[in-house]
Amino acid sequence: MSAEAENDQESVLLVSNDGFQFLVKKSAACKSPTIRSMLDKRSNFAEARENRIHFENMTAPVLEKVCQYFYYFDKYKGMKDVPEPDFISPELALELLFVADFLDC
Amino acid sequence: MNRGRGRIRPPRRGLVTDHVDFDDTWGILSQSLKQIYSKDASALSFEALYRNAYKLVLKKFGERLYAEVKMLVEEHLKGVASVRVRPLVPSVMVTGNTALGNTAAIERRLGGTRFLEGLQGVWQDHQLCMGMITDVLMYLNRIYCLDRGLPTTYAVGMDLFREQILRHKTYNIGRALNTVILSQIKMERDGDIIDHGPIRSCVHMLESLYETLEEREDEKVYLTSFEGEFIDASKEFYLKEGQRLLQECDAATYLRKTETRLAQERDRCTKSISTLTLHKIEKVVDEFLIEKNIRAVMEMDSGIRFMLDNDKIDDLKLMYMLILRVDPDAKIMKEMVSARIVEQGKDVNSNLQNAPAEAASTAPGVPSTSAAAAAAKDEKAASSATAMAIRWVNEILMLKDKYDKIWESAFHKDKSMQTTITRAFTKFINELSVAPEYISLFIDDNLRQGIKGIDETDVDVILDKAVTLFRYLSDKDIFERHYKTHLSRRLLMNRSLSHDAERQMIGKLKMEVGVQFTSKLEGMFKDMDSSNELTTEYRQGPGADNKIDFSIHVLTTTYWPTKVVGQEDKTCTYPTEIEALRESFSAYYLKRHNGRKLIFKPNMGTADLKATFSGKKHEINVSTYGMVILLAFNSLPQGSSLSFSELQTITSIPTDDLRRNLQSLYIPAKTRLLLKTPKSKGIDPADRFCINDSFSSKYLRFKVGIIAVNKAETEKEKKNTDEEVERDRGIQIEACVVRVMKSRKKLNHQELMMEVVNQLKSRFTPDIASVKKRIEMLIEREYLERVEGDRETYKYLA
Repeated sequence: MSAEAENDQESVLLVSNDGFQFLVKKSAACKSPTIRSMLDKRSNFAEARENRIHFENMTAPVLEKVCQYFYYFDKYKGMKDVPEPDFISPELALELLFVADFLDC
Repeated sequence: MNRGRGRIRPPRRGLVTDHVDFDDTWGILSQSLKQIYSKDASALSFEALYRNAYKLVLKKFGERLYAEVKMLVEEHLKGVASVRVRPLVPSVMVTGNTALGNTAAIERRLGGTRFLEGLQGVWQDHQLCMGMITDVLMYLNRIYCLDRGLPTTYAVGMDLFREQILRHKTYNIGRALNTVILSQIKMERDGDIIDHGPIRSCVHMLESLYETLEEREDEKVYLTSFEGEFIDASKEFYLKEGQRLLQECDAATYLRKTETRLAQERDRCTKSISTLTLHKIEKVVDEFLIEKNIRAVMEMDSGIRFMLDNDKIDDLKLMYMLILRVDPDAKIMKEMVSARIVEQGKDVNSNLQNAPAEAASTAPGVPSTSAAAAAAKDEKAASSATAMAIRWVNEILMLKDKYDKIWESAFHKDKSMQTTITRAFTKFINELSVAPEYISLFIDDNLRQGIKGIDETDVDVILDKAVTLFRYLSDKDIFERHYKTHLSRRLLMNRSLSHDAERQMIGKLKMEVGVQFTSKLEGMFKDMDSSNELTTEYRQGPGADNKIDFSIHVLTTTYWPTKVVGQEDKTCTYPTEIEALRESFSAYYLKRHNGRKLIFKPNMGTADLKATFSGKKHEINVSTYGMVILLAFNSLPQGSSLSFSELQTITSIPTDDLRRNLQSLYIPAKTRLLLKTPKSKGIDPADRFCINDSFSSKYLRFKVGIIAVNKAETEKEKKNTDEEVERDRGIQIEACVVRVMKSRKKLNHQELMMEVVNQLKSRFTPDIASVKKRIEMLIEREYLERVEGDRETYKYLA
């Protein structure tokens, strides 16, 4: 899967600190400026080269929510009267806030 | 969502609560940043770097991190300056030694290019690395810098670049950069081909850097350290260039080179240096190549005068365009064009004044004591005056055409330029005192013969040209006077080719200056029309004397110029048949128009006589006086003669007229109906005249030309005219003053003057002295008085 992702320029592989992998549409993931910078081909960091980002500070449940948010945002981008996101559980709320700050989104 | 049930989980350990050691973390970070500088980031994990910075900021180490990064970048740049840039700085630049040969110049250029390219490389690397570092430290920038209002690490990096590289304390890199760029530009200006790329990117670098961290637009390093020097160098260059061009080139080349220089500088601003400088460098060229030298260029032999004379439209256009750059009014151009027009106009005028001298010297030497000779000379002068008038008008029109063309194609039809040209024409035309007469003569000539066989639109063109010239006249009243004279002659002597054209002309004049100007002229036409009707009606009416074919012009005295019609009543004793006719018509006319006075003017009419000479019948057209003279011989036995004084008694024609009419009957061979003894040109009272029985002519009909009532004015007439004009103007000035004062009641001297001059402008330009004189006269006659206590103000007395 990782090899596939490496060649797939449309997607990026996001990995949690406990080893879970999420293959996400790159355009959606780039909602986060942090991720966008990581994937910048000009700087050519390891992430950009491998097309794979390992998040040392996120567990799988958190990263999953992050991915859900990327898709949610991507889907309703630029639209009006969108439904409220229903995937945020209160237990994770505070943790997600930290992550949001980290990812700047 | 089950809000109530879910418990908010505290953030996981590792984010907040972990202990972070700054030195350890910074050690990792700084190592990685150095790796970024060595252009090998592929092994680095962005996430790790970012996370480390994130942690530091979170743990309130932002300030330290910020300072450490700054130091790191500074250290790095110091290394770059000494290792990468220093060796590239061209030694000649540093020492400033410019006295070098040709090979050195090439080397210098190559060295310069190498330096620029090297610097460009350093700059690009720095930009890239700073970009990456800033990305990695985004959290620092986003949280710490924003909170404290500090510039981002990127801005700090740029600031350090200026400080450590361009402004390096010992390497003079910034200086060298300026010198290299300027010397490359100098080479390009001198005609060498240079590589724009490196210059462009170095300039771009200067444009991206600022003097301070505030990054104010007007403090770009480009503006603060490069542009000024560039402008100064350019000034120096163009000062010399201007002097060189002045010495080496003719005017047209100078203009073209200036145009090229402007284009080059514009090009340079887009291709190698910044468009920010466009306006400023254009100003330098404008100042040193145009403003400073343009007068000298215009005054060259090949300058504006040459261009105008030879219709160098393109050169003029270019000159005008360039001058507009430095002076939107193009004052100097107007000045010079105007001066040249006046000069050319004066040439035309003075050619004219030289011409009569020639004419007089070529005239046959006749004894000047005799009256006939004097008269002949006068006539000659008059007809040559017509020729001169036409030549003058044509030359002026040619000049006008020429400048119209130049105005149209070189001066973009600029309105104020047109005014200038018009003023110049007005100036020299009015300097020629006979101008009004000449213009009238020109029209006269065209209406009498010039427009024969020309179709209507072309006639219109000719008349329009005349009107154009008329517009330039300031003494329109004098023109009116002449025009009236000429028109009346055309009408009375039936010399006009087309009444339509006549009316057209009057229509045009009316459009130019209004009804008041043409009312008398129109009155003359009315008289002619009503006279025709009157003649027909009389001849059809009862009691008409139809033995003699007869037509009459009844003229209203005020419409017609006294000069033509004659002031004094000229009488003569008519032969009985004619006298009867005269009485019959007078009776008829006075019955129709009671209370009018009818005066006959025998000096104005003509008569057709039937006569037989050498067995051949002829119809001879003579003046009324001529007819009276010839009929006097009718009652005499064949072969007898009459003396001058006898003729005078019989006809009672005034001496001058009698003399002139007799001359036309015995001097020209073609119409020699009388013989005089003794045979000489002059006339003594005792000289005798008899019918020339041996006269013959191949024409059945012919005309005895009265020694023409001259076309142009002779000296004597001119003096009369001048006096009349003066008198007329005086009356008009008085009328105008009264008109103004009547409506304003009280007026200050200056205002009154202005008002009067303004109102009379369309007819003539009154001179101040005569207006003053007229005001004095009006005060004397108690139309006006000076206001007590204020001598400058007048009051109208009802």
